[in-house]
Amino acid sequence: MAEQTQRKDPFIQLQQFITDWERRIDGVANRVMGTDEFARSANVLQNVQLGLQRAFLDAMATHLNNLNMPSREDINILGEAVMGLDQRLARIEQQLQKIASMPDQAGPTRKGPPRTKRPPSQRGMSSSAGDPS
Amino acid sequence: MTPTSSDSTLQDSIRRMVDRTIQRGVNGFRYVTSAPPAVGLTPKDVIHERGTLRLYHYHPIADEIYRVPVLLVMATTNRAYVFDLAPGQSMVQYLLEQGFDVYVIDWDPPSQSERGLDLDDYTQDFLPTCVRLIAEDCGEPDVSIVGYCMGGVLSLIYAATHADGPLKNLACLTTPVNWHGMGLMARWSDRRFFDVDRLVDTLGIVPADFVSASFDMLRPAQKPAGRLRVWEQMWNDEFVKSYRAFDRWGEETLPLAGEYFRQTTKDLMWDNKLYNGTLVAGRQRVDLGAIRVPVMHITAEHDHIVSTEASAPLLQQIGSEDRTELVLKGGHVSLIAGPNAVRRMWPALSTWLAERST
Repeated sequence: MAEQTQRKDPFIQLQQFITDWERRIDGVANRVMGTDEFARSANVLQNVQLGLQRAFLDAMATHLNNLNMPSREDINILGEAVMGLDQRLARIEQQLQKIASMPDQAGPTRKGPPRTKRPPSQRGMSSSAGDPS
Repeated sequence: MTPTSSDSTLQDSIRRMVDRTIQRGVNGFRYVTSAPPAVGLTPKDVIHERGTLRLYHYHPIADEIYRVPVLLVMATTNRAYVFDLAPGQSMVQYLLEQGFDVYVIDWDPPSQSERGLDLDDYTQDFLPTCVRLIAEDCGEPDVSIVGYCMGGVLSLIYAATHADGPLKNLACLTTPVNWHGMGLMARWSDRRFFDVDRLVDTLGIVPADFVSASFDMLRPAQKPAGRLRVWEQMWNDEFVKSYRAFDRWGEETLPLAGEYFRQTTKDLMWDNKLYNGTLVAGRQRVDLGAIRVPVMHITAEHDHIVSTEASAPLLQQIGSEDRTELVLKGGHVSLIAGPNAVRRMWPALSTWLAERST
């Protein structure tokens, strides 16, 4: 009875349809994309795209250079350098704070719960071994 | 006329459909008007950050913890918050509750100045630095490493080249060793067609779009089918919440450092050097046989990214006597997060680590 109701439920049928559709599409696509022809075509397309991108970037860099303006790459490098400095300062600050709060004796920099936990199998063994009876 | 049981079942069914249709409308509105769910909420400290590298330490929540800390190494293509998606769906939270001291290596998008990072930087600098910092932070000399996918490959290379190092246990989650078994990925990056030098030399950094398109193309119907499925399941709050978290994670694929991508393509994908034992890292040959610590390899039965052919040789190649293989139901991502992982992978990993973490 429940099975019959499930068969009538349009949403369960939709779920089944989606799953079947997904399998079919993926199966066909994987067969097509697994061929040498696909790999060759996809890579030719990518190489053309990369070639155009390179040419455009070079042309733009030349124009900006002629106008005595920095390119996007120059700005990125500058931005990264500033961020690098910022991170380095933050690290130095963190180290200084750590040193300032460190006790004199050597040891772990952080205190936490005791590291004495035993796995369940050994816990059983140790409790029976320690059992006076 | 008294109603029959068939009538009442039909009535129940109609009522359920109407309820769910109303709920779909309400939740659908909320879905399109609300921000993506917050992820990675388990309290943590950033104990180290350097360019693309971030090392987190999660606050222990158990009263008593295992002596050996655990370091999770994320794949370089994705954010590590998949280990900590949401309360109740967090592998990190689970491990903390089981009494582990948890550290995680996460990656930020590499900057243009990091385009030259290669496998040596990741395995001979980033990983050893994190291991050293963990020892300093917690005061324990050794550490267990759990690497996921490419994070597993980095961990393997680190383990093989630091055989006398502080590594206590190594768990690899769906980690490829035989790269010629990578199916469509191997086919698309065939050296006869794929000009990796042109890509890297032109762009410097391999864009996130390129990386995510490669993953999406393995299952082109997965995304549209997922959208349809979420609409159909819109009445189910838990499903929608989980879908949105995974969707966000999938959308936040990371770009890759150019040299790292070039080396991965040439040395691993083309020449299969990790499998053949000819890969060189830190000026030494990467011999997986040199790994003697306990190793666990967990793979997924329906992994569409790392096939069994690619991952299975791992345990055959390592030199450890204590080696465990576990093949679980699920796919590449559902192995580590989601209901399958909660039921299957997390308890298995935790039990295995617990026995070896004192």
